[in-house]
Amino acid sequence: MRSRRLLSASMALYVVVGCGSSERPALTPGIFAPLGDVMPRANEAQREVFTRGRALALRQVPISEGLGPLFNATFCLACHEKPVFGGSAAHYRDFLLVAFRDSDGSYVPRGVNGSGVQPQYLVSLRGRTADEDFINLGANRSASPFFGVGALAEVSDEEILRRSDPMDADGDGISGRPNFDRGFVGRFGRKAQSVGLEGFIRGQLASHVGVTSRPLSNASRLELPVQSGVLGTNESRSARAGVAGAQAAQAASPDEPTFDADAIPDPEIDEPELSALIAFVMLLAAPEPDAPTPDSARGERHFERSGCAACHTPALSGPGGLVPAYTDLLLHDMGPELADGIEQGVASGAEFRTQPLWGVVAVSPYLHDGRATTLDEAIRMHGGEATAARDAYNALDDAARNELLAFLASLGGNAARTDGLLPAGAPLLAAGQLGAPEAGLSQEAREQFRRGRAVFDRDARRDAGLGPRFNGDSCRACHSEPEIGGAGALDVDVIRHGTLLGGVFTAPTSGTVLHRHDTAGVRPMPEPGVNFFEPRQAPALFGLGRVDRIPDAALLALADPDDADLNGISGRAHLLPDGRVGRFGWKADAPSLAEFVRAELSVQAGLTVPAQAGLTFGAATDSDAFTDPEIDSTDIDDLVAFVAGLAAPEREPGGDPAREAIGEGLFNDVGCAACHVPVLRTHEGLEVRAYSDFLLHDVALPLAGGVAQGMASLREFRTAPLWGLRASAPYMHHGRSESVLDAIGAHASEADAARLAFVALTPSEQGALLQFLASL
Amino acid sequence: MAVARYLLGVTTALRSRNWFARRLRALVLPSILHFSLAACGGPSLPADWREEPGSNDLGWLLSTWAPADGPRYLVGGVSDEGRVATDAAGSFLRVAGVPAVPLLNWVHGFSASDVFVVGNRGTVLHFDGTAWTLQPTPTTEALWGIWGAAPDDVWAVGGGGSATAVATLLHYDGETWESVTLPSFQRPNVTALYKIWGTAADNVYAVGRSGVILHYQGTDWVEEASGTGDDLISLFGTGPNEIVVVGGRSNGRIVIWNGESWRTESLAPLPGLNGVFMRTRGVAHLVGVEGTIARLDLVAGTFREELPATTIDLHAVFGDSGGVLTAVGGNFTAAPGDEEGVALARVFGRNE
Repeated sequence: MRSRRLLSASMALYVVVGCGSSERPALTPGIFAPLGDVMPRANEAQREVFTRGRALALRQVPISEGLGPLFNATFCLACHEKPVFGGSAAHYRDFLLVAFRDSDGSYVPRGVNGSGVQPQYLVSLRGRTADEDFINLGANRSASPFFGVGALAEVSDEEILRRSDPMDADGDGISGRPNFDRGFVGRFGRKAQSVGLEGFIRGQLASHVGVTSRPLSNASRLELPVQSGVLGTNESRSARAGVAGAQAAQAASPDEPTFDADAIPDPEIDEPELSALIAFVMLLAAPEPDAPTPDSARGERHFERSGCAACHTPALSGPGGLVPAYTDLLLHDMGPELADGIEQGVASGAEFRTQPLWGVVAVSPYLHDGRATTLDEAIRMHGGEATAARDAYNALDDAARNELLAFLASLGGNAARTDGLLPAGAPLLAAGQLGAPEAGLSQEAREQFRRGRAVFDRDARRDAGLGPRFNGDSCRACHSEPEIGGAGALDVDVIRHGTLLGGVFTAPTSGTVLHRHDTAGVRPMPEPGVNFFEPRQAPALFGLGRVDRIPDAALLALADPDDADLNGISGRAHLLPDGRVGRFGWKADAPSLAEFVRAELSVQAGLTVPAQAGLTFGAATDSDAFTDPEIDSTDIDDLVAFVAGLAAPEREPGGDPAREAIGEGLFNDVGCAACHVPVLRTHEGLEVRAYSDFLLHDVALPLAGGVAQGMASLREFRTAPLWGLRASAPYMHHGRSESVLDAIGAHASEADAARLAFVALTPSEQGALLQFLASL
Repeated sequence: MAVARYLLGVTTALRSRNWFARRLRALVLPSILHFSLAACGGPSLPADWREEPGSNDLGWLLSTWAPADGPRYLVGGVSDEGRVATDAAGSFLRVAGVPAVPLLNWVHGFSASDVFVVGNRGTVLHFDGTAWTLQPTPTTEALWGIWGAAPDDVWAVGGGGSATAVATLLHYDGETWESVTLPSFQRPNVTALYKIWGTAADNVYAVGRSGVILHYQGTDWVEEASGTGDDLISLFGTGPNEIVVVGGRSNGRIVIWNGESWRTESLAPLPGLNGVFMRTRGVAHLVGVEGTIARLDLVAGTFREELPATTIDLHAVFGDSGGVLTAVGGNFTAAPGDEEGVALARVFGRNE
């Protein structure tokens, strides 16, 4: 079947590329596979390095191993996850490029080390990077997919240059020109600013993850699975120089810094790891095209006749055959319609590389800044050199447009399309796994859980109410570790902020959440006078249904606001003005799951919610142009049912039950259990082994500032549940404690006595206690 | 006349056509003014570049200079060890008696017995014809460039690529080095000044990160409008009315002073440029990353890339009074222990 599909595609391309030879050009063999798979041509050793590189790309880099000091992501594939790893990402992974243009025309990139990339996060407790001065240009960027880039790396400079027509000598109104990188033709990045995948990856590592690296040695470059197409022809610079081999193959490794300002020794990724990472990207298969249908075949003709193929060249010639990426890899002026002022290499602020179209249907949103939610929108937003093609598309009737879109959908990846990240029809996780539904749910409840999971996973569309300010375009964006419904990494922390003067906290009028994103493509700025920022991790949601069903009275019974028992611990319930008892969130400010979900939809995604009886949280209106409410009550009910149905983490005993029992005893003895109450019960009498009293305690370090929220003071936090601790690192509200041991050491004030008692334990006893915690 | 006619034709097109005509203007008009790659078949290049014996045993090579009728100096080293070499008996040999210093970045002198070398961590070395001495300076920033109008009027510049580095300017009055206060920059990211050069005590230029150009007219330093935000790495000239500044990282960038104004151009696809030397008016010798060597003809508005003998990054170029043009460089991103350098040389051609 696959060979038939490919043969068919090859025949179609033969017509399009119009070769004069009677010999049918063949597609490059061994590069096509389902999205995210390794190229079939990879040998065993390359498959091994692909697997290793993929694991590295998925590994969250801890601060102690080099994350930061400035960062946007904690791991490579954070921004390349849609629809599968190696792809693009929803808007919550967008980033900003920032620059300063002086009156003399000087263009100075700002951001991380002058790379242009605006970093969102700092590893320090402040969490949010300062807002730089000297920025008068900013533009949103959406992550590009990596599928098939190894095949693009093999295309020679000359193959790209022969389509270059900067003066429009052929008079077709299209004047593509190459970008350059150290004397070679650029091909990677939205502006084709990088020629080599090594340089591109090193740049992203430095700018987005804050991980320093050294350029690969020539020996390592020779081991890479793909050698660059800049080699081997008479016209290429390397060939003219008489230089062969890896020295030139990845010559354009840009001047990414080999050092940064943190205390971790540089380079922060070693050569074998960097090689594996690059090899993984190089070996990501090209999207396998679908067999043509009558509709897609007609759509292909519309594609050609409309002029799309003039820039979206159906195939380039690679060393092994045709590479049907539907790009000429050249820069085109897209006119004021898409211009954003960002310059890279020789690319002006209006020029962009023709984006490859293979697999395009699966990697929305579209265009460099993700402004288009659908392919139809994306085509209609083209301008500049693409004006004629865009107008031709607009002039098609509905049927023809749909055929053209069907053709685009046939270029690979259609089977992987998803509204979020979950594949269509993904089964529910099995009992015992984090993210599984609670045991004993009725069939109806399981169906609602399934529907709620889909809503939880679904990316809110920008054309249907996302924003205007937001942190995530889905619930899953910040709750997916290790499974959907779980915690969030440091790169999705929510930044709370306000003004702290003389120990008094004042919340901004817009609320304490300072968002990362704005649909206008600008960085949300704090109000004047704000001087305090606090990162908050997204906690795991497992088991919250049971927490929701703990009677208020049970929590109130644990409260001791005046420390009447003189034990130094004075937990108090977060009582809302209407008398309800808060229990959800770092400050226990939400009294029920339903309220919690409504609040998060509005605050984190910018979605307005409908009125629901008895519920007061969430925003009914916002400042965007979309009709409110932006999510309906059915979806909300399903969402609540999903979160409520997430099974509580089950205890996972290790290999030494006796030692864990000793640890459990010590947990109680040193005083941890005074706040981390092991068991509470629901209305129905079911156990809730969350290890929390859900009360507010002051456990902050002396002199620490904070963000007050509701009735919770700036120093108070709800006792964090400990169930699932093994899968929710890093710890504490700020996530700066990388281990449980670090987290214990970060406790203070009301927890001082317990912390000191822990410190006084023998190493063996401490180990037993930690082993017990790891089993929760 | 032909150019005028061509321009008129283009202008007519601009009036009569649509968006594409505007695009054409953006592309065509500048191209008439821009430097272009010289076509094949022009005047033949001078003799080939050859690698200098003994030059690849010295670690990275960052700068070269020679006094009139004296030996060429090469300076550089490895990350934590600065090295100086001179040519003697047909090969470069390391100079003995140089104090232990970190990597050395630039050399400039007034005679064979008055040579200054600057390097990392605020290093300034002086050779008086007999001995090398380490001169105290008020900075720990890396010093990248040094130039003087006289032995008692010497400037050094430095800084670094990190956000915490500070652009640094020092002055030597023959006895002590002192920090000079820099003006408030009109552009961001100026964390380093990379080179300094002048034609007289009251006409000195410093260039650096993010396209900054500073000018000293004898009283104070003033930032000038370079028209580019690319890093500017080095500069040279034939006099006060012809100065060429080079830089860029991925793509070559030049900024030219004609006595009245600065004009900037990208030389892409020529890669980033690190060094420039001029002996003859109208001709600039350029070196840069990936073994780039090129000759810029300021009159014809063309540049010609000379076939490199290496893909190693070249950092500096200098022509001595004996008629030899020397380019030096190294694999500057290599790990400690893997540092390699190279010195290439050829004789000047006619009209160079």
